[in-house]
Amino acid sequence: MDTIEIRNLTKDYGNGKGIFDVSFTVKKGEVFGFLGPNGAGKTTTIRHLMGFIKSRSGECMINGLDCFMEREKIQKILGYIPGEISFFDDMTGTEFLSFAARYRGMTDTEKQKDLLERFELDTKGRIRKMSKGMKQKLGIVTAFMHDPDILLLDEPTSGLDPLMQNRFIELVAQEKAKGKTILLSSHIFEEVERTCDRIGIIKNGKIMTVDSVETLRKRHMRTYTVTLDSSEKAKKFAKDFSGIAEGVKVTLSSMQSLEDIFLDYYGGDGNDK
Amino acid sequence: MINKALYLREMRKSLKLLVIFLAVITMYVTIIIEMYDPQTMQMMENFYEMMPDLMASVGMTPGSSSLIGFMISYLYGFILLIFPVVYCILRGNGLVAKYVDSGAMAVLVAAPVSRRKIICTQLAVLLSGIFIMIIYSTALEMLTCVISFPGELAFSQLLRLNLALLCLQLFVGGICFLASCLFSDAKYSIGFGAGIPALMYIIQMLANVGGKAEKAKYFTFFTLFDAGGIIEKTSGAYAGAALLFVGAAALYAAGCVIFCRKDLCL
Repeated sequence: MDTIEIRNLTKDYGNGKGIFDVSFTVKKGEVFGFLGPNGAGKTTTIRHLMGFIKSRSGECMINGLDCFMEREKIQKILGYIPGEISFFDDMTGTEFLSFAARYRGMTDTEKQKDLLERFELDTKGRIRKMSKGMKQKLGIVTAFMHDPDILLLDEPTSGLDPLMQNRFIELVAQEKAKGKTILLSSHIFEEVERTCDRIGIIKNGKIMTVDSVETLRKRHMRTYTVTLDSSEKAKKFAKDFSGIAEGVKVTLSSMQSLEDIFLDYYGGDGNDK
Repeated sequence: MINKALYLREMRKSLKLLVIFLAVITMYVTIIIEMYDPQTMQMMENFYEMMPDLMASVGMTPGSSSLIGFMISYLYGFILLIFPVVYCILRGNGLVAKYVDSGAMAVLVAAPVSRRKIICTQLAVLLSGIFIMIIYSTALEMLTCVISFPGELAFSQLLRLNLALLCLQLFVGGICFLASCLFSDAKYSIGFGAGIPALMYIIQMLANVGGKAEKAKYFTFFTLFDAGGIIEKTSGAYAGAALLFVGAAALYAAGCVIFCRKDLCL
């Protein structure tokens, strides 16, 4: 049984908006990168997993439990960072974290303290006055503080500076090493490259491809064969351009960066029509 | 049934509003009761006996010569109706729709707390506020009357009257709560939650003027709260209060069911 299972999930909002026939799975202990342009349906898919919305058809399950019907059971072992962070504005960061712990019925706040130190977050101020980055950090702390087995992270590093983005990637790597299952939607290629085992790309509400980072790279490799006058020249040519020489023929391959691959999928007819 | 951490947080938010409203109610209730003067009332009654038609035309009927009648005329037409209604509108919207609209509801649903528990907690907060207001008003009225006019007020009448008032306010709370659960947009939640009670109150004012406009009373739920009838123990007034109570229960139940089933775009 896979930890996260989505089968033929469809939610039609009309005007071509929504998600259509989305299927993919995330295995236990895997970090799954979920990529796509703005408005492609990443957040809608994650909302289904969170049990916030009911699917029109198809099903999504976590640990074999239906995400909408049995959301309370699932939430015990789930951590979530929303795409758009909004907390109780009237509270200070400290008040909010203590509320969140009590609300969850959490007694151990050790991990909360660790996370606050790691992200150098000062929680004294009112949330209303906090910057986007500070709210994001608070979101990260709230998602990880109860040490969940499964993490659904919707663009978790938006608003963070590069240093903090790095710390976040480290955190994800550590959690992965502990065997946590993570679904991460992102726009930052480095983040995905460094953390994810597999990647799913969604566009216009439809899954375009699901593959490992390596396979994706290989699939988008272009190969050229160049014929030269002599095998002598061919050997030199192969050395200079790091190709493989075979008699007078040299085979060259160009590796596309992950970024280029994404742009291939992102491009074409946009989502915003 | 309820989440204690959430209940305490929300009650703290309610408290600010309650303190202000209770202060205003305290001021009005004490001042108005103090204004009651049995001698003047006796004089009014004498006048009424001398020229009944003239007195009735300006709305001074002998019914309001007793202390409770005086209170009904001057407290239960405006002050004790409007302040709890405004509380219901503000808190009703603030407890559910506002959080859904701002996205803060994600904090509450992204935790191992069922939606049923969340909505029951929010409902408990709304109801607590309504009860606090009515109970406080009742105690204050009793105290003021005991101090200023000992023996003038039958407590049983006041209790019956405020029980009916409670039914009315629960019903208004139900409208606001349902609107809050139904709409994910605070704009619509407050539009319906505040709009319906306000419209109903305006129709009620129109009906009070009398004449042809009196028929308007069939189009407002405020008619179901018949203060005079409650004092006289008429079955119509009791049925009205009961209807408000049953309606309130139905509205709350509908709100809870809708919230548990709806799509939350957080």
